[in-house]
Amino acid sequence: MKRSGSELLKSINLRPFVESLIAILVGFIIGAIVLIAFGYNPFEAYYWLFHGALGSTYGIASTLKYATPIMLTALTFAIGTRTGIFNIGAESSFYFGAIAAVIFTNIWDNMVFGLVMGMLFGALWALPPAVLKVYRGVHEVISTIMLNWIGWFFVLWLIIGPYANPNDPNKTIRIPVDARLPEIGYGLSIAIVIAIVAAVLTYFLLWHTTTGFGMRASGMNQKAARYAGMNPKMAVMLSFLIGGLLSGLGGAMKIMGEGPGYAISQGGANIYGFGFDGIGVALVGRNHPLGIILSAIFFGMLRAGTALMQVRAQVPLEIIKVIQGIIVITVAIPSLYDLVKKALRRGAA
Amino acid sequence: MERTPIIEMKGIVKVYPDGTKALKGVDLTVYEGEILGLLGENGAGKTTLMKTLFGMLHPTSGKILIRGKEVQFKSPSDAIAQGIGMVHQHFTLVEVFDALHNIILGMEGHGLFSKIDVDKAKERLQKLMDDLNFKVPLETPVEDLPVGVQQRIEILKMLYRDVDVLILDEPTAVLTPVEVEELFRVLRQLKEEGKTIIFISHKLNEVMDLTDRVTVIRKGEVVGTVNTSEATPQLLARMMVGRDVVLRIEKPPKEPGEPILRVENLKVRGDRGEVAVNGLSFDVRAGEIFGIAGVEGNGQTELIEAISGLRKVEEGKIYLQGKDITGKGPRELYDLGMAHVPEDRTHMGLILDMTVTENSLLGLHWRPDFQYVKGVINWNKAREHARSLIEQFDISAPGTEAPVKALSGGNQQKLIVAREVSKEPVFIIAAQPTRGVDVASTEYIRNYLVKLRNEGKAVLLVSADLDEVIQLSDRMGIIYEGEFMGVVKPEEVSTEEIGMMMGGIRYEEIRK
Repeated sequence: MKRSGSELLKSINLRPFVESLIAILVGFIIGAIVLIAFGYNPFEAYYWLFHGALGSTYGIASTLKYATPIMLTALTFAIGTRTGIFNIGAESSFYFGAIAAVIFTNIWDNMVFGLVMGMLFGALWALPPAVLKVYRGVHEVISTIMLNWIGWFFVLWLIIGPYANPNDPNKTIRIPVDARLPEIGYGLSIAIVIAIVAAVLTYFLLWHTTTGFGMRASGMNQKAARYAGMNPKMAVMLSFLIGGLLSGLGGAMKIMGEGPGYAISQGGANIYGFGFDGIGVALVGRNHPLGIILSAIFFGMLRAGTALMQVRAQVPLEIIKVIQGIIVITVAIPSLYDLVKKALRRGAA
Repeated sequence: MERTPIIEMKGIVKVYPDGTKALKGVDLTVYEGEILGLLGENGAGKTTLMKTLFGMLHPTSGKILIRGKEVQFKSPSDAIAQGIGMVHQHFTLVEVFDALHNIILGMEGHGLFSKIDVDKAKERLQKLMDDLNFKVPLETPVEDLPVGVQQRIEILKMLYRDVDVLILDEPTAVLTPVEVEELFRVLRQLKEEGKTIIFISHKLNEVMDLTDRVTVIRKGEVVGTVNTSEATPQLLARMMVGRDVVLRIEKPPKEPGEPILRVENLKVRGDRGEVAVNGLSFDVRAGEIFGIAGVEGNGQTELIEAISGLRKVEEGKIYLQGKDITGKGPRELYDLGMAHVPEDRTHMGLILDMTVTENSLLGLHWRPDFQYVKGVINWNKAREHARSLIEQFDISAPGTEAPVKALSGGNQQKLIVAREVSKEPVFIIAAQPTRGVDVASTEYIRNYLVKLRNEGKAVLLVSADLDEVIQLSDRMGIIYEGEFMGVVKPEEVSTEEIGMMMGGIRYEEIRK
């Protein structure tokens, strides 16, 4: 048994983790150069960034709050990648999750019902690209981009039209009090716990079940998967639907768990962009559910630290976005790790 | 007679970036106007050595001299400029282009608007073909031509570039016996014309037949060079593998039992809708190896895929132990006692990026032995399983959690065979079981197939390696355009007769 234990240890590959860490470091260094170029003090800026994100209970709560939706949309992207599809439909599934939560909790003010309906509608919106992909071979990038737009305008109409709040024209009708997610404190709801559980379940599904084995096998080699008695079509279908469920959950929790409004803002400002941010989170998290938990929290940190960085170090939000972008790009350079390793080795010799 | 060396390679060392030492100081001399055989197992370093000579790889250390002058090739075009040409194992033709355009490709002029002088090129090419009595159709798209002709185009491509030295990497791997004869005729003629030829192979008979001298390479080192006239196949085999190889398989006579697999009037279509398998009927009995020989592309792939549930059956029936399995999927078939060593090891048999453990679980993953509860994989059991496969089949692998792509071709194939056998089948399909596999693993796998037969399993062997089919089969069917030209016992027919059947002549007509 001991032998199997040590082999198990060996099987945990730390390389992706180290690679992402290096990418983050490089991102910060390049970011510092950008900051200097624009006349800011990078040490001061980074100090306030981290102070804002982790320096107080409120900061930590904000970090986790920001981490929640992107954790779920990142899972959608990752589960797609693992099954060999480039699913960028998380964005619109997120809208549908949000609007479904608003609609259905106002029919029956039950929290679980709201979450389930959010998930269902997220999955429902993932169904067309799934069917088109499996039965007609339509490339998912095309179909999901189209459906993102269709979904966006449809949901926008619902927000402005039937579900606008007659007493507050800047918002939709609110989630009823009984259906809201309980708060942990400092504006943080149990959504983060649910998101982390979802990530762990996704990990379990992909790596510890026969279904997940089939999904990953199909993602790497459809022919071999079919030969091994698996069903690649089913794998693709499941990948879209589970992805839709996760993003739908993200959308529902965004509205059900974030006070004081508990409503979608007019123009959809508080539900827009999370699907796209999730792609970056998934990349930094190496498309691994457990990596995504960490990477989402890291992105949450960047977001939460922004306020103090803006106020105390006077760094505009745009620069922070630049740093985030640089980190995503550095992670996307696969050989960066080797380059850094070689440079270090040369330096040591 | 004092001969002039045209190529001298001295102390060539090649270390790949991952640390693999492919060549460990190789010396090689090639004389002008000879046919030199370069013999070695898969992975011995033959191709690496020749790619170094052709400028595709750069030696880590060592010298290359052409006609006594040291050269350093940056790319194949440098080598071609020095008169060295290479025909690769995998062709480098643009399939939709015709031969003419393939041959002049890269010589069309490199200005943005330079004009391709097709007529002049064609004229020159025609003259070249006439001089050598070596013809290919110039204006048919390459994809519509047989492999043998495509290979000739590759050779012509090099000759058109005025090379003096022609390197051929395993040129016969894809050819029929008749095409091999034709190729040898051409090569001998090229030798008459004063060309020098380096012939890479691992087939002893071919090397014996064609070459003047043979240099044997083993594990990145030269074992020795002998004049072919003084060599015997046994001697070369010993040099190649470093021990005596059992070139014949021990196969005790055995009375076959009940039919396990029965195929009735099977019709299957290929990818392009053509009839690939045309009304085949045969059975494979318990304790029997039924071999299917034939030139590749005559319906073998479609036949296997139909039997193993991967391709739709157009007409006809397939029975396994009397049970109709027509149209059933792979999973059901495995449960009914089928196993399948697929012909495409890297695209079907394995998932290269997955670990050894994961790969050894493919097709077994739904079995309760490997699950805690239904649907949840017990990776400890799976690892144990992988470990036992590695031990039983003597697979050399860095560990159960290493990606399977880290294994050599031979070990990958052994892993597939091991996994398939662990399904405890009654019927096993072995498609190209030893293609691209080193001699030691080949021997192991072949003996294992015989062992399965001796244990009373039914084995369907499909192979492009005719020797393999002849040696292993109890009965063999020779397939041509989706039909059997004959079903015979290997010991009752001559190789020549088999060759004729592979070329499309029916057994009855031959024996008339």
